[in-house]
Amino acid sequence: MRTVATDPVGDVGRHVPAVSSVLRPLPLVELRGWGGPPLVRGKRVLDLGCGDGRLALGVAPLAKSVDGIDPDPDAIAAAKRNARKAGVGNVRFAAGAAQHLPYPDAAFDVVILSWTL
Amino acid sequence: MVDALGEIHRVLAPGGTLVDARPDSRVPAYVERAKPRGFQRFGLVNTSRLELVNDRASDRAIALVVREGLFKRRRRGRFWHRVPFSSLADLRKYLSEHLRFVHRAEWVVDGATRKRYSNEQFVIRRAVRYELLSALVHHGT
Repeated sequence: MRTVATDPVGDVGRHVPAVSSVLRPLPLVELRGWGGPPLVRGKRVLDLGCGDGRLALGVAPLAKSVDGIDPDPDAIAAAKRNARKAGVGNVRFAAGAAQHLPYPDAAFDVVILSWTL
Repeated sequence: MVDALGEIHRVLAPGGTLVDARPDSRVPAYVERAKPRGFQRFGLVNTSRLELVNDRASDRAIALVVREGLFKRRRRGRFWHRVPFSSLADLRKYLSEHLRFVHRAEWVVDGATRKRYSNEQFVIRRAVRYELLSALVHHGT
């Protein structure tokens, strides 16, 4: 069934306070922008610069596994909390730098730099 | 940045995909009033000079690893994203604090119009660019 938004901004996300950093597209909207679910479906995904896990957790239901890494330990702690809250089992988060990734060679099928470079 | 891209190449399986998505600083963002049907343009916002420099550095890093044979460009594009605000004051507060944009919009409507609608819903419509690259088998040293 097709739904029609009565609120003109209702389909672009919730209102956010000016000081918030939650200003990016919803994960599936962003994914659709790049090419859609087939890009990550059944794949091993690394979200580099994952922050609080917004995108990693968003693509997790589609992917085989998702790893998120970010240099900010506080962000990683938040990502782990968010993962627990969401009950997502195929996501791991770690604090680390992009220059020294703690993963073996050829460990991933997709690496995402979303607003990171 | 190039070091990080080298690491990404290492952890990607051959043929794997690198997604590079970021705000598109080559085009302005737009301030729009949300109307019952559609949006009315109120102004535009440019990217700060520092962010322009950073974006160009990122572009150069990607170009370098493509030249070095680590990645092959596969597809690129752009989509638009609306960031909602509950009033013009909220939007202005965001602009004053956000580092990516210059802190003041260039208005295309007069002050009286801005005042009349200041308590309505506004959005910043911004472009997001993306590029998909494929990891190549690297034969270099």
